[in-house]
Amino acid sequence: MHQLTGLLATNFGSPSGVTTQDHYTRELWRLSGYFSVPIGLLVLGLIAYAVLRYRRRPGDDRKPAQFQYHIPLEATYTIIPLVIVAVIFGFMYSAENHVNKIAAKPAVAITVDGFQWGWRFVYPNGHVQIGTADYNNINTNNDLPVLVMPSNETVQLHVVSLDVVHTFYVKEFLFNRDLIPGINNVFDINVTKPGLYPGQCNNICGEYHAYMRFLVDVMAPAQYKAWYANQPACSITTAGVSAIQKGNCSVINAGSNFSGNTQG
Amino acid sequence: MTLLEQRTSITFEGHEPNLMEIVPGPRPHGILKYVTSTDHKQIGLNYLITAMIAFGVAGLMALVMRTQLIVPNNHFVSENVYNEMFTIHGTLMLFVFAGPFAFAGFGNYLVPLMIGAPDMAFPRFNNLSYWLYLGGFSLLMAGFLTNNGAAQFGWFGYAPLTEAIHSPGPGADLWLAGIGLTGLSGIFTAVNIITTVFTLRAPGMVMFRMPIFVWNILVTMFLILLAFPVLTSAFAMLWIDRHLNGDFFRAAHGGQPILWQNLFWFFGHPEVYILALPYFGIVTEILATMSRKPVFGYKGMIAATLSIGALSMGVWAHHMYTTGAVLLPFFAAMSLLIAVPTGIKFFNWIGTMWRGTIVLNTAMLFCLGFLSMFLFGGITGVILAQPVLDFQLHNTYFVVAHFHYVLLGGIMGGLGGLYYWYPKMTGRKMSEKWGKLGFALIFLGFNLTFFPQHDLGLRGMPRRIETYNAGMGWNFLNELSSIGAYITGVGVLVTAWNFFSSWRKGEIAGDNPWDGQTLEWACSSPPPDHNFEALPPIRSERPVWDANHPDMLTEVGH
Repeated sequence: MHQLTGLLATNFGSPSGVTTQDHYTRELWRLSGYFSVPIGLLVLGLIAYAVLRYRRRPGDDRKPAQFQYHIPLEATYTIIPLVIVAVIFGFMYSAENHVNKIAAKPAVAITVDGFQWGWRFVYPNGHVQIGTADYNNINTNNDLPVLVMPSNETVQLHVVSLDVVHTFYVKEFLFNRDLIPGINNVFDINVTKPGLYPGQCNNICGEYHAYMRFLVDVMAPAQYKAWYANQPACSITTAGVSAIQKGNCSVINAGSNFSGNTQG
Repeated sequence: MTLLEQRTSITFEGHEPNLMEIVPGPRPHGILKYVTSTDHKQIGLNYLITAMIAFGVAGLMALVMRTQLIVPNNHFVSENVYNEMFTIHGTLMLFVFAGPFAFAGFGNYLVPLMIGAPDMAFPRFNNLSYWLYLGGFSLLMAGFLTNNGAAQFGWFGYAPLTEAIHSPGPGADLWLAGIGLTGLSGIFTAVNIITTVFTLRAPGMVMFRMPIFVWNILVTMFLILLAFPVLTSAFAMLWIDRHLNGDFFRAAHGGQPILWQNLFWFFGHPEVYILALPYFGIVTEILATMSRKPVFGYKGMIAATLSIGALSMGVWAHHMYTTGAVLLPFFAAMSLLIAVPTGIKFFNWIGTMWRGTIVLNTAMLFCLGFLSMFLFGGITGVILAQPVLDFQLHNTYFVVAHFHYVLLGGIMGGLGGLYYWYPKMTGRKMSEKWGKLGFALIFLGFNLTFFPQHDLGLRGMPRRIETYNAGMGWNFLNELSSIGAYITGVGVLVTAWNFFSSWRKGEIAGDNPWDGQTLEWACSSPPPDHNFEALPPIRSERPVWDANHPDMLTEVGH
């Protein structure tokens, strides 16, 4: 039953994000809710009222009114929506500038490569996390590639497609960005809450699109530093990837040990 | 006036009357008539029935998808089959059903009748359009007979997944050719209807006396002329890439995959209004007739249609917010603006019902279904028009739910139109009892299918995934959604049964069963070849009402 209660919660059903950008997205979502719920109810109410009130019942010999224009009324319901739309646009514009802001000097810069059907995360020192899922069983998370990043720091992701169009999508980031051959896409993420978050390709990319999943492991900055120091340059953490994609680097460990519900 | 009195004296006692045949001589029947007829009514019926078959086929594919998704980690169909299903489902629904059903089916049948014309401007050309369309439908289906199966990359076929190296085999080529043919058919129909409206209106039928339906079809036809050639060009480019080693969309060779998205959506967004506007027109006609009132704000309604048409040419990149390659504020502003004329339409529809005497029959119920669902789809549209929120919801089930509310809302209007004009097409009414049952099932099933999908999207379920992990919190909502799909399927079966059984057994309707207002109700049911022997005087946008109710003319002034 708790699946349904989500809809009745204060945020008009939207989940909580875990990034600093989350604030702007959800403010905008709430604002849209404040406008659209009353307007929707008003219009629905008017329709219901008109139908019930003016329904023709048996033995009813009312004559229908034959009016056609009411210019002041028509002008009103043209101008008010224009104003509402302008207000929404204003708030959206300011939120957009916050969400899309790119830091000149991010704390960490990671390259995210998508390919049919897996992910490769390349760190500044050349360390690579790479993986493709087990195509036989979507319920196992054993072979998923893991994107490790620090919390409370600006992480800049540079997303690159190695073949077709993919989309980097992590639900808790409230964020999608496409990986398109020929387009350089860069965005900043600042996660405030450490944890394991599932991510997934969000653009149809061929046969095993559904299996193109990954995990984001957000660690406290100190923990991340320790982890990063342990990854030698040009080392690979791999999961379910054939030797060809490993290149010349030596494999130091394999498999992620994530399982169970990601919500924690 | 006298004309209409004579009309009502045509009776249907036990046998089909020999309706006035203006041109004497034998007529082809059955298959031969279906193949050769250049009569706009026959061609309109051909379109309507072919489109309904496509709806059934695409609906079955939807049921396959919902069955696959009913539980996590399901293996009802393979990945490739699932990908075929959503690709061809979307393609058929958009290119073979939803568009042609309204603008070619109802458009062909009704536009000449509503403007008092004997036929379309180019009757043979019209016949060719239908056969191109049927050819397109056949090619799309033929993909399933090829060794690699039908196209598997979604109905908007993003390059470079559609390139020969990623999607080898004839399935993708048949998809290209099939859509290309339906596109050509649409362009031909547009040329035909625009010419008809501009040249064949009856004396007195000035532009501002045309029914809203005709206005909406006219604007739709201009959108087709602007949008479809771009699609055809993009398809030609992709064909060159696939077969002649072209490099339009291959990044490694200097091509630009993003170009495909721009070209496709430059067609694709006007296409959404090509699908929606005719249904707006249908609903407007039904609401006016069933409320026994003139359309409220007739000229404002036309202005709203025109501005929707104009704005729709400048919003294509709202499908591409997450590409990082478009000017977000411009497309957001344009997309949000479309809410304004759409809102005007809603208030005009309410105004049309206000203080009327509303007959709540099946056609009207479907219109109310349209109003409520399209309203919801419109509101989620305003949410998705904002790039920041689209970053969150892009390509999730929230989007799937949004556009199904919009499109299936439209289809509800189309089903209303079917109930409304069925008596004109066949001389008989569809059963009200089965009609209301069908409506209840479709309305309930539809909402059960798609309402939970909003929440699925917020919970992060991407569209077009063949299966999902059991631990994501998506299981229950998917189950609900699939059950809803089955209920919708039963509702469609009931409606289809009603449609076919009423053809022979329905209650005899007479010429003007709903006390209609526009010209199509001035000729017999079904109308004879070349439609009219004589016309009532056309002094407003509802000549038949004026003739039948001289005591209830439209009030002048506001």
